Amino acid sequence: MSSTVKDKDTALDERVEHLVRQARLAAAVFTQYSQKQVDAIVKAMTIAAIENAAVLAQAAHLETRMGCTEDKILKNYVASEFLYAQIKDKKTVGVIREFPEDNMVEISEPMGVILALAPVTNPTSTVIFKSIACAKTRNCAIFSPHLMAANASNQTAKILYDAALAAGAPKGFLGWTEKSPRLRKETERMMVHPEVDLIWATGGTNMVRAAYSSGKPALGVGSGNTPVYVHKSANISSATIDIIISKTFDNGTECPSEQTLVIDREIAQPMLAEFKRLGCHVCTTEETAKIADAVIDPKTGGMNYKMVGQPANFIAEQAGVQVAPRTKMILCQLEGDLRTHKLAVEKLMPVLGFVIVDSVQAGLNRALDINYAGGTGHTAGIFSQDEDVIEQFSLAINAGRVIVNCPTSIGGLGGVYNNLTTTLSFGCGTGGGNITSDNVSIKNLMNYKRVPRRKNQTMTFQTTKNIYINPGSIDHLRDLETRNAIIITSRSAARRGHLAMVMERMPADCRVDVFSDIGVEPDFQEVQKAAAAMRASQPDTIVALGGGSVLDAAKAIRLFYDYPELNQKDLAVNFLDFRHRIFEFPKTQKTQLVCIPTTSGTGSEVTPFAVVTDSEKNRKVSLVDEVLLPNVAIIDANLTRSLPAEITRDTAFDALTHALEALVSTYSSDYTDGLALEAMRLIFEALPEVLKKPNEVVWRHKLHNAACLAGMAIGNASVGLNHAMAHSIGAYFDIPHGRANSALLLTTVDYNSRVPNKFISVANYPIWIADKKYARAARFLGLVDKNAGPEGSPEEVEAAVAALKKAILELGLSTGQPLSIAELGVPLDKFQEAIPTLAVMSFEDMALKTNPCYPPGEDIVNLLISSYPPRVPVAQ
Amino acid sequence: MSAKSTDKGTNYETVRIMGSLDRSIEEADRLLAADKTDVLLDFSACTFITVDGLEWLEELLLRAESKKHSVIFESIPPTVYKVFKVSHIAPILRACGGPTLPNGPVC
Repeated sequence: MSSTVKDKDTALDERVEHLVRQARLAAAVFTQYSQKQVDAIVKAMTIAAIENAAVLAQAAHLETRMGCTEDKILKNYVASEFLYAQIKDKKTVGVIREFPEDNMVEISEPMGVILALAPVTNPTSTVIFKSIACAKTRNCAIFSPHLMAANASNQTAKILYDAALAAGAPKGFLGWTEKSPRLRKETERMMVHPEVDLIWATGGTNMVRAAYSSGKPALGVGSGNTPVYVHKSANISSATIDIIISKTFDNGTECPSEQTLVIDREIAQPMLAEFKRLGCHVCTTEETAKIADAVIDPKTGGMNYKMVGQPANFIAEQAGVQVAPRTKMILCQLEGDLRTHKLAVEKLMPVLGFVIVDSVQAGLNRALDINYAGGTGHTAGIFSQDEDVIEQFSLAINAGRVIVNCPTSIGGLGGVYNNLTTTLSFGCGTGGGNITSDNVSIKNLMNYKRVPRRKNQTMTFQTTKNIYINPGSIDHLRDLETRNAIIITSRSAARRGHLAMVMERMPADCRVDVFSDIGVEPDFQEVQKAAAAMRASQPDTIVALGGGSVLDAAKAIRLFYDYPELNQKDLAVNFLDFRHRIFEFPKTQKTQLVCIPTTSGTGSEVTPFAVVTDSEKNRKVSLVDEVLLPNVAIIDANLTRSLPAEITRDTAFDALTHALEALVSTYSSDYTDGLALEAMRLIFEALPEVLKKPNEVVWRHKLHNAACLAGMAIGNASVGLNHAMAHSIGAYFDIPHGRANSALLLTTVDYNSRVPNKFISVANYPIWIADKKYARAARFLGLVDKNAGPEGSPEEVEAAVAALKKAILELGLSTGQPLSIAELGVPLDKFQEAIPTLAVMSFEDMALKTNPCYPPGEDIVNLLISSYPPRVPVAQ
Repeated sequence: MSAKSTDKGTNYETVRIMGSLDRSIEEADRLLAADKTDVLLDFSACTFITVDGLEWLEELLLRAESKKHSVIFESIPPTVYKVFKVSHIAPILRACGGPTLPNGPVC
């Protein structure tokens, strides 16, 4: 009775289902195992492998007729004892690594069911290695051996499985496909089986390609073509022995073994003589041709598999080349163009090509010829005492492992000659069409769960070091330590008499120059012009005298004066978080900067900001860095006495906006909150009084202090949505900054106090509290009705926010400050036309990044629209 | 150990699984063989489950299904629940009250 193909397929499917199900159940059960249980299993398997190393090596040799038993024993030891030494103390269960500095841990997760392919060249050592590695990582393996080595591979798997089971491993954690003519088909079925999680393919190119083509995650590692450069500085005797050891190891079946030597001419003859002395045969040109015919398959251009792992004498005999008995290795000079030479390919047998070169450059290029003839990503070797040459070689060659002054085969295995990870599976990276260039081991068999904890962001508080306050504090100028100063100011400072006030107080022995060409909105050209002027007089101090524009310009001027090599385009690169920004500012400044504000608004004298116009791109650029902080601020309200009412109002509302935005900023802190609240209190109290009694310096003083306090608040907490929109409106319609701010203030406070449509993702802003902070401000200002409800209750917070908005409205109405875009005199049609541009400009503004919520573009459009209608009835 | 339960409006006989589930639980087999009641397996004291344990559970559930009886799992510790999840055994996942097939992508 004979079985049909269908019967055979059914039986095959049943075998596949059984194997995969056993592995699947075992994988599930393995998830419960502790590190201790796993380590006990690994130890038992290792002992079993060591105890059976010789038996299994013999079985492999008998079945495959490749290599030699003695070396296979050594491989089995490497795959067990050496691997164990490397992994026994490694954590593979639970938390496997901790990163205290990053507040993160790494936890392992098994991969599950692994289909593990074993090659004919290393049928037992590969199974030993993969079984132990899988056990250590709580994975389950189904072995698919090479048909020509299936009995030896499966015998190995069974020995290790029995040992593992006795040590407590889950039933079915190792499985294997039996030797049969349908083994390949069975493997193909498993490659696409839904319950197989990973394919770990070690073997021929076709098998590896099939693994990668299966659609499964695959660790496929394939063939190589190892070039070895023997530099003239090499120790000839030891290099020769190393190469013989390596290339004859298991009759050359190790894929990292040497394939072609590139030898410097200076040492070529002594080295070849040494090879001969030690029992190798160096072929003549005719003999080389015969060897090539014998070991290379003319159909494929690759090696003749009948010669793989065969002894040198057998190969010579097959090729018709006379060699001495017990010849260790056959060397063939590859003459002509190496790139087209038949023997310049992988030859897993004791046949070694060589070329002779006249320079390091030629040596590296010939090594690259071999490397790129089927060996990219795999292995390369160099013998040299010259570290420079070793580095040049390593940089040039594309290999996962560059073995230095060692046999490449045993050196590539790791653990014997060097500290490479022990493996029987050599990742070749993308050069070899692989996912990894590692010596594949337990590291590659785990899923890594990273468990990062939330960052506790370090906040800082920085401001100008020396702040002199009170009317008359300008007298401090007399004590300035300077011998050569420049006063940066605007023309209006001279008109208002401020320049004279400063000049009179500069130290007597100090040379003083004046640069008074700073305009209303200084651009980079003005900044560079001033810096150039300074280079002529070489001042050690800048005294900046004026409003926010002058002070900001002075900060930028000092930066370019101290560091002329700086590029303004680099400075202006936008950023999300200043700690991660691309451009690094200088750490220190060389020139002293003294800032004397003559308006009570920007607080620039205490902030690390400088806004400079980029005329080329018609935009304002915010420079932000602590290095911009002035050294000295002089807050002397006498300099604001002559400030016109309109500018007084505009600048005071600018300061009020600073305080309100700093209070609810995502970067606000207890340090900035206190400053913001007190600034608000002073503005609400002093502004109406200043406008009523403009010459009373006490109220001017309070307002001046308020601007400085609010400046310190934004200097650390920054601003928000209001400023983002005000920047765009101000730039588009040429509106003074403070006035643009006031026109938006009621809209933005209202918007920010409502539950956001989109929360902002900032690590140091864990809870949205903008409404509660506005309510706190209202309480601090004494605006909240005691009957509004228990403090902090939703109704009380709502009432407090409403009270705050009412107070802002009343302050605006009572002082005549515009509180809407219409009141700025912007015609409706022009405004409507500008809305799309304004929305984009606002959205891109840096100020938005610290707003307590993230306003989508649609919200910004709506906010602009709702900011337009006048807050006061327009006269008919 | 078994006890009557009226959870979910049905009469269930509860069987508590203690420690490692590494073989069949006679009590559950007996209850199902008696063909009189549905069975609730209480896993709250289950600390470990082996491949044999898993296979018995699956077989128990198949027997219950053929007898038109219900077996449900309750109080499953996460480590045991994860074993069920990784095992991909449909009747077991149903007994946990979940869908038969995983929701996510399957290779």
